Amino acid sequence: MNLFRSEEHLQRWLAGREPGATTSVETVCELAHAWYADRLDPDWRPHTLVQNQAILNNLGLTGEFWQLG
Amino acid sequence: MDELDLQIRNFLYRRFVETGQAPRTDDAAAEFGLPGEEAEAAFHRLHDAHALVLERDALEIRMLNPFSCVPSAWRVKAGGHKWYSNCAWDSFAVCAALHSDGRIESSCADCGEPLAVDVRDQKPVQRDYLFHVLVPARQWWDDIVFT
Repeated sequence: MNLFRSEEHLQRWLAGREPGATTSVETVCELAHAWYADRLDPDWRPHTLVQNQAILNNLGLTGEFWQLG
Repeated sequence: MDELDLQIRNFLYRRFVETGQAPRTDDAAAEFGLPGEEAEAAFHRLHDAHALVLERDALEIRMLNPFSCVPSAWRVKAGGHKWYSNCAWDSFAVCAALHSDGRIESSCADCGEPLAVDVRDQKPVQRDYLFHVLVPARQWWDDIVFT
């Protein structure tokens, strides 16, 4: 999971490979906060697949690529 | 994940954030009064449950996601300390886990030019970069180090 300076840099890095998924920095930052904000909570419990899928869905990260299970 | 494993997991995270060092099985054994082999078994169970990531060839913690317990190309200043993370997503997640603003430093995966993103109030200040995930979500844990 990488950052690129631009679409041109991403395409050069892919070098013809099938691309995965691309989002904005704003989206991955929001995703990180939704997924990990409770990670150090003293009463942390593992997220269920349904919870995590909902986090992705709520950010518009839908479709086969983003299916967790 | 049973209650003891959950407590061990929470201890490992707490100790890592306090010390910046990956706890070892001896630390968990001492904390919970466990025989060494029981602590080792717990580490394996937590790895299998994706609650931590062990090194491939040693019973040592490599990742307490989003933190990397070993130096990496992703450096995060947050919460008054410097951390390593595992990838771009985890770098933002270090700020999220610590409930802190921060600064992420790494490089463009293509050209290697340094890049930096400041996080303020849960938002990135520099927004020109693109985030790319190569591996589909269903396969993330097939090889989490590659992912």
